[in-house]
Amino acid sequence: MSNEHHITPLRTYLIIAGSLLFLTGVTVWVSFIDLGSFNIILAMAVATLKASLVVLFFMHLLWDDKKNLVVFVMSLMFLGIFITFTLLDTGFRGGINPEVKNSINSKASFYDNLPLTDTHGNPVDSHDNHHEDKDDSHH
Amino acid sequence: MSENQNINYLNHPKGIMSWLLTLDHKRIGLMYLFSGIIFFLIGGLLALGMRLELAAPGNDFVSNDTYNSMYTLHGAIMIFLFIIPAIPGALGNILLPLMVGAKDVAFPRLNLASFYIYSFGALFAIYTIVNGGVDTGWTFYTPYSTQSTSNVVPMTLGIFIIGFSSILTGLNFIATVHKMRVPGLTWYKLPLFVWALYGTSLVQITATPVLAITMVLLILERFLGIGIFDPALGGDPVLYQHFFWFYSHPAVYIMILPAFGIISEIIPVHSRKKVWGYKFIAYSTLSIAFIGFLVWGHHMFTSGQSVFSQIVFSFITYFVGIPTGVKIFSWILTMYKGQVSFTTPMIYALSFLFLFTIGGLTGIFLGAVALDIHLHDTYFVVAHFHYVMQGGTIIAFLAGLHHWWPKSFGKMYNQKIASLCALGVFIGFNGTFFPQFLLGLRGMPRRYATYSDQFSELHTYSTFWSTILGLSIFIAILNLMWSLRKNNKLDPGSNPWGALTMEWTHTSSPPHPHNFESDPVFTNGPYDYDKVIVEPTLKK
Ligand code: HEM
Ligand SMILES: [Cu+2]
Repeated sequence: MSNEHHITPLRTYLIIAGSLLFLTGVTVWVSFIDLGSFNIILAMAVATLKASLVVLFFMHLLWDDKKNLVVFVMSLMFLGIFITFTLLDTGFRGGINPEVKNSINSKASFYDNLPLTDTHGNPVDSHDNHHEDKDDSHH
Repeated sequence: MSENQNINYLNHPKGIMSWLLTLDHKRIGLMYLFSGIIFFLIGGLLALGMRLELAAPGNDFVSNDTYNSMYTLHGAIMIFLFIIPAIPGALGNILLPLMVGAKDVAFPRLNLASFYIYSFGALFAIYTIVNGGVDTGWTFYTPYSTQSTSNVVPMTLGIFIIGFSSILTGLNFIATVHKMRVPGLTWYKLPLFVWALYGTSLVQITATPVLAITMVLLILERFLGIGIFDPALGGDPVLYQHFFWFYSHPAVYIMILPAFGIISEIIPVHSRKKVWGYKFIAYSTLSIAFIGFLVWGHHMFTSGQSVFSQIVFSFITYFVGIPTGVKIFSWILTMYKGQVSFTTPMIYALSFLFLFTIGGLTGIFLGAVALDIHLHDTYFVVAHFHYVMQGGTIIAFLAGLHHWWPKSFGKMYNQKIASLCALGVFIGFNGTFFPQFLLGLRGMPRRYATYSDQFSELHTYSTFWSTILGLSIFIAILNLMWSLRKNNKLDPGSNPWGALTMEWTHTSSPPHPHNFESDPVFTNGPYDYDKVIVEPTLKK
């Protein structure tokens, strides 16, 4: 059992802190590379790795009762199930009705009210023809 | 068994505060039981009101708006205020510690907190009722739910709050099963009801947070206009359905697993036979709990989700049938060559077997995409889920209530009336809901107050039998309440069904305030009817 207290050497903490800083650098760096739809996957992968390091080392999950590790891994698994199956929908839509292919309506009137920028703060081109669903759906 | 006949959890300590602030799992269980029954009554009256409206094709009694509110409240109350919290909360709370030989659940204070969180959430639901209802259907589908001017926010807030009560109860039960078992009571000797509660609790703590998130997202979109589900705001309405059913399909197992547990207890006792396939039943509980997380898309076959995910969800849905079938066959084999006695709990349990099988099989029909495109949102679906939820869960709940009533209160109800009511429930139930399968097959859509004349004959049947159903349940409950009168005490040593689980063999009826007068010693497995002889004893 895990009742004895685990004492983590300072060195480990420093190494983990270093890796976290490094991974933060990676996050910033990959945001400059456009991988299309893999952008989000990569960003999430790096973020998950960082969170896992924090939980495993800083929060001592690695040395804790293994049941707690099981719970942690299970919660990741359920999140994975949820996201994967939902992507099976949004990623393959439009087979029968092509008009529902894009799950997010980028022409929504909502975007008219926002100063739209991409991830680097450059303004997104103006959207003159973005008013298709405005006229009748406003109350 | 008990020498000291006067001290039990019901009369010791005394006073209203000793109830409201009690940490005793049995008292908390009773508080859940009575609040649950009140909501069951409200939900039931709403249902009878709807059947009255549907007795004839036109708008005879209520307007369309009122009808919308009635079915929404009926569904939301029955599911979120009665079945989900009250069944594990009542029977689970009363029995789990007794069955594992513990003095209480692992965290008694948390247990009381769960009850008050549930009550607090229930206040929002009551507010919704008195403030004019809510008309979105119990599923709160967007985009309508972000636009409806009815009480969507109070109701979803109530559900959000009640969800925390479920999570905490689940946590408490899991800790209790892991840590509080009496020495010698290994996992494979646990009563199957305990396994069922364990599986239910796992689903509660993994799925319920998603419901909470869904409700918060809905409220955020309504109040702050953040585009999550509304396409006009850049959201995706189908995403709402993913969120909702990621919780709500597992939630149907939160509703049915405790029922499976109750049936697994009752059938061996009233058949005087060791349960057949103990491990099959135990593991099928866990696998149902897991597979239940992979099939939610079968509620969305007409929502516009991708064809690819329809195929995947349809395919996985069939797998649910396997562990479910395993259980049904195990129960039937348990009765095979046993001494089956037709006591009230057993009549309910047999009804369960029959009705749940119909409900489960029609679920498999609906899991087939091609068929569901036709049947979705028709009365066929309504009939399916009433066969599983009322024919399954509520009948199992009534079975359990009658089985453990003498244990919980030390009183025996009039068994003749109770058995007659059980038959009335069975007949009334089939009379009410079987015609709804036919209505659905013929194209009658759900959630309408009116219909075209061709449907009127079947609707009239359904309404007629629903009064028999309602009346039978009502009399059954009155009969139970009537047994609580003063001069109707049982001998505290009574074991009226001759059961072998610890709550019957190791403590009095009603149990001692601390469950067992001395530390219990685990002696026999819960279903060792082949090794141990127990005689049913019922003394006044
Ligand atoms: C054998 C296992 C089961 C299968 C394969 C199954 C399958 C399905 C399917 C495919 C639907 C969607 C129908 C539609 O909307 O077109 C459905 C609806 C439903 N099922 Fe089941 N089911 C099963 C068991 C259960 C159980 C045990 C419960 C609850 C105790 C349950 C409760 C419901 C409810 C409440 C709905 C309707 C939800 C709504 O739209 O309001 N089902 N089922
Ligand atoms: Cu489902």
